[in-house]
Amino acid sequence: MGVKIDPLKCTACMACELACGYHRDDAFALLSSCIVVYRTRDKKDYFGVILKEEEDLVIARPEGLEVKRIGAVEEGGGGGDASAKPMLLREACDQCEDRDDGPLCMQICPVDAIYLD
Amino acid sequence: MEFLASDQIAIVDLASGEVETEEFSDELCQEKIGGAGVNLALYNQHADGDPIVLGAGLFTGSLVPGSGLGVLTAKSPLTNTVVHAPLTQYLGMELKYSGFDYIVIKNAAAAPTMLWVHDGILDVEDASGLAGLDVWAAVDKVRADKGDDLIQVLGAGPAAQSSDLAGLMINYWAAGDRFGLGRALAAKNLRLVAIRGLGLLEIAEDEDFVAQCVALQAAVKGGAWAGSRGLVDLAKAMGQDALAGWMAPLAHRHRANFNTPFAANTFLFLEGDPAELAEPAQAEMGVLLTDLGAPAVLQQMGLELKDAGAIVKQCAKLGLDPGLVAKVCADTGKSDAAAISGALESLSGPVEGLAGPFSPSVPRAAMFGIDQAADEAWWTRRQAVAYIFGLDPLFALLAPELEEAKLVELAALGTVLEFSQDGLDAVIAEVCG
Repeated sequence: MGVKIDPLKCTACMACELACGYHRDDAFALLSSCIVVYRTRDKKDYFGVILKEEEDLVIARPEGLEVKRIGAVEEGGGGGDASAKPMLLREACDQCEDRDDGPLCMQICPVDAIYLD
Repeated sequence: MEFLASDQIAIVDLASGEVETEEFSDELCQEKIGGAGVNLALYNQHADGDPIVLGAGLFTGSLVPGSGLGVLTAKSPLTNTVVHAPLTQYLGMELKYSGFDYIVIKNAAAAPTMLWVHDGILDVEDASGLAGLDVWAAVDKVRADKGDDLIQVLGAGPAAQSSDLAGLMINYWAAGDRFGLGRALAAKNLRLVAIRGLGLLEIAEDEDFVAQCVALQAAVKGGAWAGSRGLVDLAKAMGQDALAGWMAPLAHRHRANFNTPFAANTFLFLEGDPAELAEPAQAEMGVLLTDLGAPAVLQQMGLELKDAGAIVKQCAKLGLDPGLVAKVCADTGKSDAAAISGALESLSGPVEGLAGPFSPSVPRAAMFGIDQAADEAWWTRRQAVAYIFGLDPLFALLAPELEEAKLVELAALGTVLEFSQDGLDAVIAEVCG
């Protein structure tokens, strides 16, 4: 069971990224999140979400969800977000195992784009 | 300010190039709360320098639903009054995490200038390298030069040198200020402000604060807007079915402003197939509509959607406020797309009917069954609340669950400062003028 994202429901609001950052840092911050909105292709209207798991990257592209084994995938999905903390340096998703209500990103997403599967 | 803030205000004198910093005091926050409240206090304090004040709301960048708004406060070249412009998309959030809660920009530079705001450092830099570049090329160059595609850019375009219809631009898209504030930047020889924030905001009672945010999010998710997204749905919700039907064929996807549940921005595909979801090979696919102002007028003028979209895109590159452009064209009887496009670089006012301190890019009309949104007094108060706390001004209309008493309670919880309804009433009265 892991966190999955419906890319066509996502509106790139970044609430999930902030929620995960809070889960990591007990403060509002974005650098520690294991779920990140991919948002630098503004002029193409191309955006999605990347989630780091222990062994996989879950890449929610608008054309479909991909799960790729880390080590078998190029870093970051492109140079556009190289300035952000690279995904492979981030902690893996722990599904907020210390929360009774489960993943905070799932709870906070305003459009129910995040689910467990 | 220890909580929900970076505790730093920058005062930039563009004439000397000097930057001073001072703390964002608990006393200032308790008295003026945040956003437009503090912006206005700083504006008045530094009025001798004809300032432009950038500020984040108290909740900007937090998990409070809708907390994406930054605010620019300045004297509008069109109305000659002090106004507050919405800084949406991701700009408000980036400002909040940049290490500065407020930036006061005074006087005018002798040469083209940009500000580079990053991680508690504010650099005043030469912008001569941006000369001759349109808005999109300038944003691309700044991001390439700084090596960071996540930099958020607040700027003015080449139109700001000559047109009073020049608006604020956030990255490639219109900020929707409607107050001609692009000219205010140009008057200071300030081409743009580039912002990147990797900061962290402590929260006083973080578990309770976040628990309340989660509960609020659950409440607003069940609101009348639930299940809707984008400007097509917004138009329908306002009873403008013809406008909705006109926009729908080229609508690609809908994007939200930071942490704002209702996605209020719609991208029109002017190239290719709007149903296509894979990443296009082409670099530019169309234009992001950030409010209904221009589309509504251009549709009523009888323009084809693709022509209208092309005009809005051209406005974006030039740094013209498309809402003002559409209004002036309608008022002066211009209705031919080619003629409008050809006239854009020389288009100018006057612009009639601008009033009040808040941008009319947020419609004052019943929407999603919220009839109060058409009431001027209610609309104005909700805008004031949004601009003070840093909440998306459209979402503040759609989410009456974000009650003032709840926001006051959250402010106290997040900061351990004392806030009251009376205090909020006083700040609302000030920002509403």
